[in-house]
Amino acid sequence: MASVEVDQFLAQPPERVWQALTDPAQLARWLMPNDFKPAIGHTFTFRTEPVPQHGFDGVVHCEVLALEPPRLMRFSWRSGILDTVVSWSLAPEGAGTRLLIRHDGFDDTDPGQRMVMGILGGGWRGHLIRQLGALLREERG
Amino acid sequence: MPGPDVFDAIASPVRRALLDVLADGARSVHDLAAPFDMSRPAVSQHLRVLRDAGLVTEERVGRERHYRLDARPLRVVADWTAHYERFWQRHARLLRDLLEEDG
Repeated sequence: MASVEVDQFLAQPPERVWQALTDPAQLARWLMPNDFKPAIGHTFTFRTEPVPQHGFDGVVHCEVLALEPPRLMRFSWRSGILDTVVSWSLAPEGAGTRLLIRHDGFDDTDPGQRMVMGILGGGWRGHLIRQLGALLREERG
Repeated sequence: MPGPDVFDAIASPVRRALLDVLADGARSVHDLAAPFDMSRPAVSQHLRVLRDAGLVTEERVGRERHYRLDARPLRVVADWTAHYERFWQRHARLLRDLLEEDG
């Protein structure tokens, strides 16, 4: 499963960083406008400019999956054909905080994405061919 | 420059299945339609969408048209990780700046 990891040192302690990550107004200032609430199971969206060439309508659909102040937040991230998960982990480092951003699930959650990875990865053989007839009957009906 | 057509093209399970078949080699419309309960016009319509997205090319072989997969436009879809790496790096810096401003 492909993932992205980005880490960033911040001079403030984890408690202060946690605020910036979980207060909707502060979150909007460094990330995107949102209707986030710090509650597991809360569904929310980020809204930004659409990127038509990436098939992106400008809305990211999210759900809070884990919340452990001031250490970890994890939420689902669905936009366009993507169905992924973002984790923000905070660890004290000196007087500040090391923030680790991990974005997981780029290549095996979405059928379109799986197909693309399969074709580009060269491991593509006609295993879907058997399903074609059924799919066509579904679409027609 | 690949357009939104690539995403529309692969959004359909039928067209993904057609691409799957074409990934094994070029096929005629007849070959694509024959094993399945699918009319030639229906296949042609899906192939047109794939062709407009740049995912298949068409060539004339005798009296038939053959279709061949061109996977290059798919790279824009596979490029998500690079896109999001830049995205998160940019926003992590914005977070750092925000915290420095506000204290």
